[in-house]
Amino acid sequence: MKKRFLLLAIIMIASLLLGACGPKETPVAPPVEEPVVEEPIVEEPVVEEPVVEEPAPPATTPDATLRIWADDTRSAILAPLAAAFLAEYNVEVIIEEVANIRDQFIIAAPAGEGPDITIVPHDQAGQLVASGLLAPIDLGAKAGDFVDVAVGAFTFDGQLYGMPYATENLAFFYNTDLVDAAPETWDELVVKGIELQDADLVDWGFVLSGTTYDAFPLMTSQGAYIFGRDAEGNWLPNDVGIGGEGMIAAGDLMREWINVGFMSTNTDWDTAHSLFETGEVPWLMAGPWALDRIRAAGVPYAIADFPDGGAPFLGVQGFIVNALSENQLLAQAFLTEFVATPEIMYELYEAGNRPPAYIPALELVTDEDMAAFGSAGVNAMPMPALAEMGSVWQAWGDAFSLIIQGELSPADALSNAQNQILELIGGALAGMVNVPGSWQAAAGCPADWAPDCEVTALTEVDGLYVGTFTIPAGSYEAKVALDGSWAVNYGVDGIADGDNYTFELAEDGEVTFTYDPATNILTIDVP
Amino acid sequence: MSELTKKTKKPRSMTQQRRLGIIIRWVIAVFLIFFSVFPLLWIISASLNPTGTLATARLIPQNPGFKNFQDLVGNPTFPFFRWFWNSVKITTITTILTLSLTTMAAYAFSRFRFAGRTTMLKAILLIQVFPNLLSIVALFLILTQFGNIIPSLGLNTHLGLIIVYLGGAMGMNIWLMKGYMDTIPRDIDESAHVDGASDWQIFWRLILPLLRPILVVIGILSFIGTYGDFIVARTLLKTTELYTIMVGLQIYTSGMFSQKWGIFAAGALISALPIMVIYLVLQDQIVGGLTQGAVKG
Amino acid sequence: MDSSRERLSKTAKKVHFELSAILRFALLAVADIGLIWFITQLMINGFFEVAVVLIIIVIFNTYVFLAPKAYPLRWMAVGLSALLLFAIFPIIYTSYVAFTNYGDGHLLTKVQALDQIQRELYLPEEGRAFEWIAYRSEDGEYLLWIKDAAGNTNLARQTDADEEDHILEVIPGENGIGELDEAGAPVAIEGFTRLNRILATTDTNLTRIKFGDPEKTIQVRSPSEAAELLPRYLYNEDEDTFTDQVTGIVYFERQGTYTSQQGRTLTPGFRAGVGFENFENFLTNPALRGPLAIILTWNFAFAFLSVFLTFALGLAISILYGDPNFPGKKILRSLLIIPYTIPSLITILIWRGILNENIGIVNTVLRDLINFSPNWTTNQWWAKAAVLIVNLWLGYPYFMLVTSGALQSIPSDIYEAAEVDGARGWNKFWNITLPLLLVAVGPLLIASFIYNFNNFNLIYVFIQGGPPIPGASTRAGYTDILISYVYNLAFEGGRGVNYGFASAISIVIFIFIALMALAQFKFTNMWEEVSENV
Repeated sequence: MKKRFLLLAIIMIASLLLGACGPKETPVAPPVEEPVVEEPIVEEPVVEEPVVEEPAPPATTPDATLRIWADDTRSAILAPLAAAFLAEYNVEVIIEEVANIRDQFIIAAPAGEGPDITIVPHDQAGQLVASGLLAPIDLGAKAGDFVDVAVGAFTFDGQLYGMPYATENLAFFYNTDLVDAAPETWDELVVKGIELQDADLVDWGFVLSGTTYDAFPLMTSQGAYIFGRDAEGNWLPNDVGIGGEGMIAAGDLMREWINVGFMSTNTDWDTAHSLFETGEVPWLMAGPWALDRIRAAGVPYAIADFPDGGAPFLGVQGFIVNALSENQLLAQAFLTEFVATPEIMYELYEAGNRPPAYIPALELVTDEDMAAFGSAGVNAMPMPALAEMGSVWQAWGDAFSLIIQGELSPADALSNAQNQILELIGGALAGMVNVPGSWQAAAGCPADWAPDCEVTALTEVDGLYVGTFTIPAGSYEAKVALDGSWAVNYGVDGIADGDNYTFELAEDGEVTFTYDPATNILTIDVP
Repeated sequence: MSELTKKTKKPRSMTQQRRLGIIIRWVIAVFLIFFSVFPLLWIISASLNPTGTLATARLIPQNPGFKNFQDLVGNPTFPFFRWFWNSVKITTITTILTLSLTTMAAYAFSRFRFAGRTTMLKAILLIQVFPNLLSIVALFLILTQFGNIIPSLGLNTHLGLIIVYLGGAMGMNIWLMKGYMDTIPRDIDESAHVDGASDWQIFWRLILPLLRPILVVIGILSFIGTYGDFIVARTLLKTTELYTIMVGLQIYTSGMFSQKWGIFAAGALISALPIMVIYLVLQDQIVGGLTQGAVKG
Repeated sequence: MDSSRERLSKTAKKVHFELSAILRFALLAVADIGLIWFITQLMINGFFEVAVVLIIIVIFNTYVFLAPKAYPLRWMAVGLSALLLFAIFPIIYTSYVAFTNYGDGHLLTKVQALDQIQRELYLPEEGRAFEWIAYRSEDGEYLLWIKDAAGNTNLARQTDADEEDHILEVIPGENGIGELDEAGAPVAIEGFTRLNRILATTDTNLTRIKFGDPEKTIQVRSPSEAAELLPRYLYNEDEDTFTDQVTGIVYFERQGTYTSQQGRTLTPGFRAGVGFENFENFLTNPALRGPLAIILTWNFAFAFLSVFLTFALGLAISILYGDPNFPGKKILRSLLIIPYTIPSLITILIWRGILNENIGIVNTVLRDLINFSPNWTTNQWWAKAAVLIVNLWLGYPYFMLVTSGALQSIPSDIYEAAEVDGARGWNKFWNITLPLLLVAVGPLLIASFIYNFNNFNLIYVFIQGGPPIPGASTRAGYTDILISYVYNLAFEGGRGVNYGFASAISIVIFIFIALMALAQFKFTNMWEEVSENV
């Protein structure tokens, strides 16, 4: 019996406590026992039930239903829209809170169970576009109302695939009690930092809150990059800059700072933020997501550009439309007419603290911090929306961990990381240089135009790739392809995805291909 | 009672020894409790910490308060108590069904000899350990198709989720149950057989009552397993109202750099209550010594 | 029992037997009929994979409930059916996926991909774009009001409409056209309803309808624009090729991607069989030339130590505090179960905070007390210790529960007999408790070993496999276990999420651990014999 009482007491106390905690004006969620007693489990047709409770169910059935996946902060803002949309256009909007949107989306969408609209960062959108899951979006009359770089981030192959709504990048926070102005250069930062350390005002002159994304502005100021870009701004997935001079320079700089006790070897995110918030480090490279906690900590701060013009990564959040949705037009109309308004965009900004990508909303933002974030992100580099980026993070992070822990020299750690990344990207055929074309079958390949055929792979001789093959008379076409796939290929004049080379043989003979990796040009010597 | 009388008869030194044993055991227990409860204090601290971070050096946050709990239960779009109820409902049904399937299957494995018996037992173990990262996709596929024909059995239904969970009923717990049954002497059933009892009667009247400790253990294991699942549930359930507590809480951790750990910690604490309560109430059934006499049979 | 009573009870039993047999057949018939209906429905809808599994289930159950030989299986028929559908089918599905390129870029089926490519439209150079307003009649016919850049307005009928003129002048009064609004669009057309923009977009037919003259059709392509669009790619079904209508380039199907001879590809690709390619890629993967020996050694050590420590502590607790006369045992055991009641997602992260090298409580206290602080995340040995400590914390309640239940199965008269023989304390434990306990718990130890062998979550959430191994030829960390190491390669490496590759890895790892488990089964056979002698 005692047991029963104890149990009852626990439940009662718990529900009392919880009930008492609820804000008075909103109705407290129904107590545990109440709602479900008679509910037969078998019937759960809740899919069709409107999620929003406020309006009485309309007399007529809705003309259409839009399903939106959003995370907790954004769903709260979109939910009131649902009622308005239903009232005005008799279209029901169902908002579903989903964690790990991308992972869920790639399972549900191909099965025809995906939402009509969801929100993803632009670097995830690239893969979704390649998989055919995103519908192109036409912003119509509002096309000019969005920040260019944000629109650019969601543009793939010249086609817009998302309606951007917020941008995010790191900025340089400094403690205004400790320093008057942000340092213009890293040298200046070191001088000031050491002064503060000598005066015993701070524990550390500098801390990093991570080894990759969070340290990127320091790296870019030394000339580092991740992937190269061609003249039109397209990413070059085989031009990896992790082992480049800029990265090594950044690593050397960190080593130097650690050796003199200026920089902490701890790169934990929470640790770094705590140090800044408690005034134990005078500055920090941090994102808008840290604003809430930094403000709550009460440390006097200001936000500035990075020393030496360091550039952070730029992330863009945007609404996307499911390409397998029946309601693509409606989804677009909902986004462009209902979401792309100064009010909604401003609310989204207030909930997320990210500068809006929608200019009329951006103009409403008076917060100085947001302006400072914008300024620090002027030269920000959009996060490469490349699948190959997935191969980079860990190897890159590991390399800097090893550098910071002093296990390897920056040059060794980064060139090793570079090799790891290239092998991952290339897969089993990494490093293969091939000359796929209409001549391959004649040379012993299973098929023509096979970039993975090992028979026709070129071999390296003194920095050039060379191969000689006997081919019957005829006229042929060919191209250069790297790593056994078409992902990276060069045509005439070494142009990526360019036109085919052509060559003719009057009679059977030996043809020599020579590829120069410096210029990406192929020379074909015909007898 | 007899045990008690026996004890009083024992010499004094035995009682002293016993007392010493208890003291030593309590000293060890203090260390163990410290080890087990220590992280919990941090979760409590996180749940009271309005800034919602997990890694803090201070056990008592700067401005402790119930804000996280308020946010958790007071959010109109996130019906926390509804999730709580959904979880309790789904988990209870699943546990009862799993328990009956497990026990019956284990009875067959323990009491009958049939072709493929050991192979099946081994297969059950192997199936459980398949590194099945794609099973989610397959389960999604099955329920999508089921739902096309019988909507109440499809995606986004509790019934669908429950039947998916039943796929795990033939799991490792069968081994545990069978092992336990194997230690119940077979003479019990044989003599009952001679008396004309059917297999079902033996199972129901004779064996089942002896299984109480292990039934409770497996019940708790199955309850915790189902209750804590969010990977299957979050893929199959999409309407906020239908979420289980783990799926719901997970929403708070989804934002990159904006995880609301404070609210999550508050929710985790509340969600741990049913399991604690169940264990508190049922643990006597596991080690109450109720069955020991009976097993001697 | 006297003979008449015996006879009576025999008759009763017979009646009972027949009754139960009839009931059994009736239930089976109902279940079979229901399932067969369900299977037919599935087939009609084209869901063959699931239908096949259900057919197997129907045949299996019918056999089991009819054949006397299969009597023992009746006890587990429902469980086995569920197992087949929700545990074995996913494994078969994984095996199937291992032979495809399912993953980023190849998520859709061929039908879906063809549809998408065919729906890709382009605006020819001389093509015009319009603003549009749609009108719909009661019987689902449409008219499209269009206004080009120069401000000319027209009304377009559906191309498939049985009328001579597909493009009409907008003249109020003619063809039922009513008053015009400021933009020049009819406010009303007789027999048609003017759709506002949102209403028009809710109409899922609209984008698929062609308007205007057959040789220059107009299609709606966005809420604000309609244009004289043409399909970009023409599909040749016989050759399975697409031809680009602008450039004339032909795209051939190659492993789920339409690829031109120049190496250009069309998106999206689709799921296609790739034979053993995923397995080949894995077995020739640079990963396997990496620090595999270091990883495997740690992996075995981690799995073994995890099982050993959690089992030892769990058992110790249930023996030490299983004594019904121990004061405060209930509250004690309830406190000790705590780690099991809180989602590990949060507790692992809490442990990360507790063991933080600089500001974690453990190191702060240790620094103050003994002026030493372990590098939990950057030193390989401390990192391994940290992983084991956390796993011990997470795992011992499971064994505490299991062993406290299983201990009840050991009859106390065995102990009494042993005591008479002079067995004491440890002796009793080694010779009686442990062997008998292992009868029930042995297989769980194997399962736990394998579970920990693949304990991706802990390693990944707690420490991401770190600290990194310097100079490794592929990225690896000292606490990486096989599965975290290779899944990283499949999911984060290469060119995006590759389910096909990941499935191939799953299967290879499964074969590996299955052999390991079967080897360990030698011991369980021994345990079972022990149990049968009891």
